Amino acid sequence: MAEVTLKNVGKRWGSFVGVDNFDLTIADKEFLVLLGPSGCGKTTTMRMIAGLENASEGDILIGGKRVNDMEPKDRDVAMVFQSYALYPNMTVYDNIRFPLKVRGVDSSTHDEKVRRASAMVELDDFLHRKPSELSGGQRQRVALARAIVREPNVFLMDEPLSNLDAKLRVSTRAQIKNLSHELAVTTIYVTHDQIEAMTLADRVVVMKNGVVQQIGSPTEIYDNPVNIFVASFIGSPAMNLIDGHVQDGTFRASHVEIPGLSVPDGPLTLGFRAEDSGIAAPGQGQINAPIYTLELLGDATMISVRVGGVLVSVKADKNFRAEIDDMVSISVPQEICHLFDGQTGVRIEGGSPAFHGPDSRCSSPV
Amino acid sequence: MTTKSQSRIAVPAVSGKARFRLSPFTVISLALVALWLIVAAFPFLWTFWGSFKVQSDFFSKVDWQNAIYGVNTIKETGSPFTLAGYYGAWVDEAFWRNVINSGIVVFFTVIISLTIGTLGGYALARSGRRYAFWLLMAALAFRAMPHITLVSGYMLPFFEWNIWGILPTTIIVLVAINQPFTLWMLHSFFLNIPKDMDESAMVDGCTRFQAFRHVIIPVMWPGVITTGLFSFLLAYNDFAVTAMLLSSENETIIPAINSFLGTTQVEGKVMYAVAAVVSATAPLFVLILLFQRQIVSGLTAGAVKG
Repeated sequence: MAEVTLKNVGKRWGSFVGVDNFDLTIADKEFLVLLGPSGCGKTTTMRMIAGLENASEGDILIGGKRVNDMEPKDRDVAMVFQSYALYPNMTVYDNIRFPLKVRGVDSSTHDEKVRRASAMVELDDFLHRKPSELSGGQRQRVALARAIVREPNVFLMDEPLSNLDAKLRVSTRAQIKNLSHELAVTTIYVTHDQIEAMTLADRVVVMKNGVVQQIGSPTEIYDNPVNIFVASFIGSPAMNLIDGHVQDGTFRASHVEIPGLSVPDGPLTLGFRAEDSGIAAPGQGQINAPIYTLELLGDATMISVRVGGVLVSVKADKNFRAEIDDMVSISVPQEICHLFDGQTGVRIEGGSPAFHGPDSRCSSPV
Repeated sequence: MTTKSQSRIAVPAVSGKARFRLSPFTVISLALVALWLIVAAFPFLWTFWGSFKVQSDFFSKVDWQNAIYGVNTIKETGSPFTLAGYYGAWVDEAFWRNVINSGIVVFFTVIISLTIGTLGGYALARSGRRYAFWLLMAALAFRAMPHITLVSGYMLPFFEWNIWGILPTTIIVLVAINQPFTLWMLHSFFLNIPKDMDESAMVDGCTRFQAFRHVIIPVMWPGVITTGLFSFLLAYNDFAVTAMLLSSENETIIPAINSFLGTTQVEGKVMYAVAAVVSATAPLFVLILLFQRQIVSGLTAGAVKG
């Protein structure tokens, strides 16, 4: 059981900055997700914690001990690789047992530990097989079992679900969530999938180009994105963002007019979520535009309209029906709006009040 | 690995049989294969057959058919087949001593080349440094040189230090010649093994070397065996180095056969050479048959990534 602390950790290759000034304390038993597009430095951050990559600057502490100069094996972490990295010459049983064997754990306990780990991921029937005889999902579970068999201080998971098909991803995600609850071990999980981040995390770190954008609970990040990048990365569909101007407290763009904003005049990016808005009586809404497309999702109907040069999505009732090019009126009251500075993209207070937790940290991309 | 290559070989054979038709095209290709087989195999078969004859038959100036029927062999020994050539080579000329010498040279050349090659190939494959590339390029340049260039350069110092003529010197030179090749071959095998495997093993509790030994080498066996075989063939078949660097009592098989041929003035010695050639070729056939699967998989693996 351990707390992981990153103190101003950075990684550079020559002049290229992979991770810049990463500063965070991950509490004992916390499930932390590093989220961002590819190349944002999330995997590098994890590899620095594992010891597979040297930090160029800053300190990494696991359980209060500085581990910068330690070998991976001495850090007492377990890692699940994106490619699973199973040992092809060993059976599933030997794969799971491998960490116990090389660490010289008392061999009389091996069998019990291996069987407990394999039972947790439902692999009991496959213990004698070679990895090449397993499906992708089963291989993934072997990798999980190999990580949990040793009861390490910290789990590291590098996009463990990205090689699975969509259906299996959902069920394995649930399994990981349940496992992490059962094991109660500090877990750091890297993903580019915002749904994984939202469903699994106690806290999410959103990164872009090596720079931390926002740290907070999934709800905080969903409700109060600190800038346009986070707003557009979290949520499905992504938040609608419209560029426009404010004059006398009223936001205007083509087909859009939203009054009641208490922000100074000037350019502004206004965001709102499809699921917060809805269809208004004709002419009563803040957006009035012809329908661009209409998608039936089953539980709802997604309507898109083209306003201010972008497509804006709105979730309507599942029984809503209309034709393309029909005029529609959309209600976007001032309360559901997120306001971002037109130039810097940073969140402006004045829409709904933004939340700042004790660990939240805003740094805007320049 | 094994199951994969098995199925790859098995499937076309079955379907080929099922679809077999005697079209003109198959006739032509079969004829070509047969022709190639005859051209390739004839010298071996002819030598094998002739090794049981006397010289006046196998090298008959009167009638080449004597080599087949063994007219003089019957006249001299009373039977169409004789082991005189083998007896002369193995017993009179102590060919067994050359076999032992070859065994020593080959064994140590292979072991040393493979040890340095696996360690070096692994290091070069995992190193992200630029000089790793230039080291490999240098290895390629040395690989391209004719073997004899190394030997002539070594001759004088070896005489000066009084280490000419003994087996260890030859082993060192053979390793030097062979090493660039083993390094390249093993390097490309290691590149095929994902880096994640080492890293996973290191997180699981291995040192870098334990990861290499417990995780990488078991996966590498086909590559190591293939490379070992090629090293074996190089050391076994070498003539340039062994002929120039070994004194006559330390000669290996190939220069020994050559010296049998070199004394044609005395009748019978040529037959010793023929018998020795057959003796030296036989183990190669056995070896290739035993390891054919590894050689094939190793060749393709090297070809794709090399």
